[in-house]
Amino acid sequence: MASPQLTPWFKGIVFRSLAAVTLITVLLGGLSSLVIREQVATRGHGEALQRLSELLDAVESTASVAIFANDEQLAREVVQGLLRNSEVQRVTISAGPTVLARAERSATQFANQPPVDRVLRSPFKKAEVIGGISLDANWDAIYKRVDDNSRYALLMLLSQLLLVIVGTAGMVFLVVVRPIKATSDRMHRHDPVNGGALAIPEGHAGTEIGRLVGDINDLTGRLVSTLNQERELRRQHEIAQRKYQNLFDHASSGIFVADIDGRLASFNPAFISLTWLSRTVAEEPRRLIEAGWSEGAQLIDLLHRCAQTQLPCADDFLLRGRRGDERWLHVAVMPLGDGSMQGTITDVTTRKREEMTARRLAVTDPLTGFFNRQGLLQAFSTVDADTPPFAIVMIDLDGFKLVNDAMGFPVGDQVLLKVAKRIRATVQPDDYLARTGGDDFVLILAGADAREALAPRIEAMHALLCEHYAVGRESVLIGASIGVAFFPQDGADMPQLLRSAELALNSAREASRSVGTTGYRFFDQQLQMVVEHRRRLEDDLRLAVNGGELCLAFQPIIDLRTGCMAGAEALLRWQHPARGFISPEIFIPLAERVGLIGEIGRQVLEGACMHAAAWRRDGFEMYVSVNVSASQIPDDLPPAVVLDALRRHDLPPHAIAIEITEGVLMNDIDIAQRWIEELRACGLCIFLDDFGTGYSSLSYLKRFAMDTVKIDKSFIMDMSADNSDRTLVEAIITMAGSLGLKVVAEGVEDAGQLALLREMGCAYGQGYLFSRAVAAVDFASTVARISAEMAIDLPNLLPDELEIV
Amino acid sequence: MKTAHALLILLLAAAWPAAAADWVVVANPKAGITRLSQDEVTNIYLGRYRRLASGATAEPIDQPADSALKARFYRQLVDKNLAEINAYWSRLVFSGKTRPPRIAGSNEDALQIVLLHPDALAYVDKARVDSRFVVVFEIAE
Repeated sequence: MASPQLTPWFKGIVFRSLAAVTLITVLLGGLSSLVIREQVATRGHGEALQRLSELLDAVESTASVAIFANDEQLAREVVQGLLRNSEVQRVTISAGPTVLARAERSATQFANQPPVDRVLRSPFKKAEVIGGISLDANWDAIYKRVDDNSRYALLMLLSQLLLVIVGTAGMVFLVVVRPIKATSDRMHRHDPVNGGALAIPEGHAGTEIGRLVGDINDLTGRLVSTLNQERELRRQHEIAQRKYQNLFDHASSGIFVADIDGRLASFNPAFISLTWLSRTVAEEPRRLIEAGWSEGAQLIDLLHRCAQTQLPCADDFLLRGRRGDERWLHVAVMPLGDGSMQGTITDVTTRKREEMTARRLAVTDPLTGFFNRQGLLQAFSTVDADTPPFAIVMIDLDGFKLVNDAMGFPVGDQVLLKVAKRIRATVQPDDYLARTGGDDFVLILAGADAREALAPRIEAMHALLCEHYAVGRESVLIGASIGVAFFPQDGADMPQLLRSAELALNSAREASRSVGTTGYRFFDQQLQMVVEHRRRLEDDLRLAVNGGELCLAFQPIIDLRTGCMAGAEALLRWQHPARGFISPEIFIPLAERVGLIGEIGRQVLEGACMHAAAWRRDGFEMYVSVNVSASQIPDDLPPAVVLDALRRHDLPPHAIAIEITEGVLMNDIDIAQRWIEELRACGLCIFLDDFGTGYSSLSYLKRFAMDTVKIDKSFIMDMSADNSDRTLVEAIITMAGSLGLKVVAEGVEDAGQLALLREMGCAYGQGYLFSRAVAAVDFASTVARISAEMAIDLPNLLPDELEIV
Repeated sequence: MKTAHALLILLLAAAWPAAAADWVVVANPKAGITRLSQDEVTNIYLGRYRRLASGATAEPIDQPADSALKARFYRQLVDKNLAEINAYWSRLVFSGKTRPPRIAGSNEDALQIVLLHPDALAYVDKARVDSRFVVVFEIAE
């Protein structure tokens, strides 16, 4: 604490107030003394005149007597008497022009003042003027006295002022200076930090000084608390600073502060090591751009963008080391608000490589190293008019699924690798290879634009792919179908080109089943038209289903032993308004593909039920069988729907039979089995249609509870000529009989076949021999005709067989 | 009460001057004076001068101090009472330049003096005047 500084006397309040008071009093006193002096002089003059006049009053009557009586002696007495007054300089008493008496004081100097005259009248006659008395004042004496008076007054004033000054000084000292001095001394000794308030000088509790001390105490209190807060803040700040300094120094990320042009204001050790900057300082300031960025300009752009938008910006940048090594750094900068930016640098090399790998994997087939479908579409996503022509080649391996099924995926993969190798051998370096599916490959052959030029290459490729593949000790033979399309004439973009190539491929695949084809096809408009045709047919089918163009025809099923009609198969017919009759073999698969089969199935069931009910009312006790395709089971035609239809038409369960193919059984066996069991439990019969054409697994017959087997017409057709078919039919009939199944022979066309079937013990037949499928309206007449025909034929039957039926 | 009386008398005196003019100034016919003005009577009696315009000396004769006529004479001549007249004379006597008029013992005495001294003037009771005297001044109404 500083030692108390003594205030120099000339700066003290006492001196100042004294000086002020003195100055003011001297000024005022000077002014007032001038005024007083003037006043005193004026008054002194007036008073002197007054006194002289009074003197004259005193001697007036005597003087007038003296003049009246012409008494010089008396006049002299009067004059002498007057002259005794020190203020009188000269007195003259005259009677008219005659001077009666005159006297004056010696050693005079005349002030330029007129004498005091008094006219004297006769004592006995007031109107008569008899003379006068003239009196000159002794102005020297008068003025001297006036001066004395004014000097005295001034002296008194001055002494009063002196007293006031002394008194003021004393009071100022006592009332103001001393308490201030005391307070000041206390303040010097006072340590506000250690608490305690300054004492108010005694008797000053209510004065300004008391208030001042109170204010000082308040202020001190506030200052001390502010000081404490400040100290606490600084302490926290230092701790935070230390903390952040530690973070800054030991962070694994690089941290820097730079201006908009990348001049570095500060950076941490990690920054140097991450950016491979030399530790020795070459020049100041260092610049962010010094590091070996491969895209330095973009880094500066990033800084500019950050400075412009005042938003955090970040990007990844590749750094190249001196020894050719690379590092990916993630640079994130955020504006600090003063034009500079704070940035962090993180090594993201690992992530970046993983990303690149993942990106590559995403477009690559891991097995063959070819691009996958995604990669293919990405690479050719921007095909346009400027793209040079190329050919797109789509390859599908025939029979590869069998290899996989039979020999396992490892072998399949081996084969695929070899296929890939052969493909690679046939292409040129700038061709583009992709595997788009299990055994689907797509090649983009750059520069190929003519069929004639390309055909030998494709043919060679096809031949190469169809050669034996040696996998381990096995030798695998698979086929290949190839479809080729050209850019730009066969498609403007990749999806269209792929579609064109696939059409060509499909065409090639279909053709490959026939002998002597090349195994590859170039896309042409014809293929496109076929597809168009199919698509239009789909639309037409949709209209047909909704518009009732589909109708049912019924082909009778004849009991061969009695010649009676046992039932009828309901067959779907589509009479297209423009194209005429369209075979179910064409439109049923179409309906399955476009999801119309459910609706069609329900229409068929409804129609079958309706007609069965009608015929039953007419007295025909027979069933109507309905074809159900695999795709209808179980959801498009649940058993409940079938039963509901029966109930609505008031039909017994055996009035409707359900015909399914082996295809039904090849899907989900459990579902099919449950569906069949449910219907059979309700009393419906299940027919297995087209038996013999598919896998014809006998285990199906055993496993699935059927009622009837329908032998496919191809067997019946060839039965007469081909002995083996005949044997087969016979075996089926025998086997079915032993399994308790009824047998219907389909496609019975002539009497010989009928005879043979009868001979074999086949119970039922169906075919042109009896009747084609006929419309419902013609059914009754057909039944009548068949009954008549078969009745003629009946005698050929054995009587015991009739009895059995 | 006394004051009231005196005041009453004063008022009566002032209100009735004609009735009070019972005196006249007489001279010896040998003096040759026939007429004097009031101013001349005043100046002569109050000592301003004792010489007449004709060159003759005038000797005023006064009545005794306690005479009522004397008081009436000065009151009517110069409107002064006797105390004032005495005070006047005391100032002049002091310097010695002049003297007050000679005082006769009575009216008769005064007339006697006039008879004996041709310069003498006297104011007397009007009724006492006879042909031996010349009335030179009678106060106007």
